[in-house]
Amino acid sequence: MRVPALRGYENYMQNHTSTDQLPGDAGHSPDLPLIKAALDASVSGIIITDNQLPDNPIIYCNESFERMTGYKRIEIIGHNCRFLQADDRQQPERLKIRRAVQEGEHVSVEIRNYKKNGDLFWNELFISPVQAADGRVTHFIGVQHDVTRRKQAEEDLYREKELREQKIKERTLQLNASKEYLDSIIQTVRESLVVLGPDLKVIGVNRHFLNTFKVTASETEDKSLYDLGNGQWNIPKLKELLENILPSNNPVLDFEVEHIFPHIGKKLMLLNAYRVELEGEYRDRILLAIEDITDRRAIEQRKDDFLSVASHELKTPLTTIKGYMQILERLLPKDADEKLLEVVGKSTKHIERLNTLIKELLDVSRIQTGNITLHRERFDFDEMVRETADTIQNVSPKHRLVISGSTGIDYEGDESQLSQVVSNLLSNAIKYSPDSANIEVNLARVSDYVKFSVTDFGVGISPDDQRKIFERFYRASDTQKNYPGMGIGLYICEQIVSHHGGNLWVDSEHGKGSTFNFTLPIKQKTNE
Amino acid sequence: MSKKILICDDDEGILEMLEMALYAEEHEISTEINSLKLIGRIRDERPDLLILDLWMPVLSGDQITRTLKEMPEYKNLPILVISASRDGEDIARKAGANDYLAKPFDIDELLKKVESLN
Ligand SMILES: Cc1cc2nc3c(=O)[nH]c(=O)nc-3n(C[C@H](O)[C@H](O)[C@H](O)COP(=O)(O)O)c2cc1C
Repeated sequence: MRVPALRGYENYMQNHTSTDQLPGDAGHSPDLPLIKAALDASVSGIIITDNQLPDNPIIYCNESFERMTGYKRIEIIGHNCRFLQADDRQQPERLKIRRAVQEGEHVSVEIRNYKKNGDLFWNELFISPVQAADGRVTHFIGVQHDVTRRKQAEEDLYREKELREQKIKERTLQLNASKEYLDSIIQTVRESLVVLGPDLKVIGVNRHFLNTFKVTASETEDKSLYDLGNGQWNIPKLKELLENILPSNNPVLDFEVEHIFPHIGKKLMLLNAYRVELEGEYRDRILLAIEDITDRRAIEQRKDDFLSVASHELKTPLTTIKGYMQILERLLPKDADEKLLEVVGKSTKHIERLNTLIKELLDVSRIQTGNITLHRERFDFDEMVRETADTIQNVSPKHRLVISGSTGIDYEGDESQLSQVVSNLLSNAIKYSPDSANIEVNLARVSDYVKFSVTDFGVGISPDDQRKIFERFYRASDTQKNYPGMGIGLYICEQIVSHHGGNLWVDSEHGKGSTFNFTLPIKQKTNE
Repeated sequence: MSKKILICDDDEGILEMLEMALYAEEHEISTEINSLKLIGRIRDERPDLLILDLWMPVLSGDQITRTLKEMPEYKNLPILVISASRDGEDIARKAGANDYLAKPFDIDELLKKVESLN
């Protein structure tokens, strides 16, 4: 609303005291009471200030102004209108008004004002100058609207927008942070990582990949995996993994791939592949983690070789010692001194132990590195057990090994290794039942398994020990002092049996004896 | 029955011990530590039995076995291979050895094998 500069009030008289009158209302115009009534009926607050008096005081206000501000006319007339600003005097709008008043210009602002009771309201304020004929601005007319509601709505809207923007900013920041976080994890991992799209195009790789395979990011990203570096990643086994195995077996772990790369040579790699199945942006992306185990394998091989040589070298003098010991036994006269016989007997026993230790050392090393190779051949399982039992029986005349049952199976497996298992279990049974002569061996065919079990009536094994005896280097606590040794025999047995796809376990009661059992699948389905 | 036995091993201790063990059984024993000289010794001494180690420098036991088994005049010479190697038996049998004994062995077992190899 634009109020035109009013003219014609130059007759206003300074001695006018009755301010409920309109200024200039000298009774000249019959319209004036009507005009006053009209002004009071207005919903807008309307005031008039006298610019010729010091500090531009209010000389008229309508009733609406009183309603709007909560002040009574008596509290209004004579004041400069800034009293509505209460203590809120730093608003830029105030300056704007001041300048307009000084210049005698029209101005409209929205300014924070305060009612008498202290409540804030937003005042939409229009100020128009009233000029005398000579151009002097004698009065100002102010029209006010309480626009608090609208302002509030605007404010709310603005606040909400701000808030939303703030939130978006925060979310973006968060996203960036978590992306950066994820990225830093991927980059820090000491393993090569490749992210592939559903079309097997490389979306990203980490630094370790770039370093290991001597490529740059720009050479890899957005290229098909198979096209990388002149097709050097076009590896049949990898293709098989990504295209045939992964779609139906997600994730795939420890998949071994050997490949000769043009620049870096032969690499042995262990792959983990994971396809994202979660609905959304990343669906069907494939994460490929590549562990380069070339060096590790070489080291394992070297360790194996070393141990092979070492055990071979150790066995040579042992053979000599054992030979001389046996010659000595033969040379001893029948009526030789008790002590002497005992010494010879003990020496023989310990030479045997030394021999076992040397053998086990190599076995454990091989098993640990997964280098246990099975020489599979068909053999008569029952016959193998009988022969092994005979050998053990021969050297343990105090015990009586009794075999019952039969499997009747020509088993396909590594005879010498399984014989080692049987021999180990039998000699354990003897070792751990020093005061009980009987050892029972049972052979059976159970479903499509052959089953071997050996029962002794000796010291038995506590439940706690039962859980641990198949661990490497573990020995049942009770027997520790009586039968010192490395105790890796059962560990080796367990490994051999499981390499055949079988299962080795113990049933035992402390003080009553133990039964060691193993089963082997007759139909081959082994994890060689 | 007394036999003429030639033993070849690169370890002095083994040779001495075997000599003593077999001598007690009234066999006629000779030993050779250098496998390169072995075939010459066989030609000169015409043994009834050869006891042979596997891992020896330059010329290994399985190589010698193969060579001998291909020579008409020696292919019937019984060869007993002794070894501390894990895969020794496999290697020895493939090379054509008549019998095998893992080190360390039992003297009784050795004597039994010596007796049975003709
Ligand atoms: C006709 C007229 C009406 C005015 N109405 C208001 C008003 O309703 N609320 C307000 O805060 N200030 C109003 N003002 C402004 C103040 O009176 C004053 O001019 C302003 O605060 C700037 O001057 P200052 O810096 O001396 O305070 C009005 C001024 C005029 C001339």
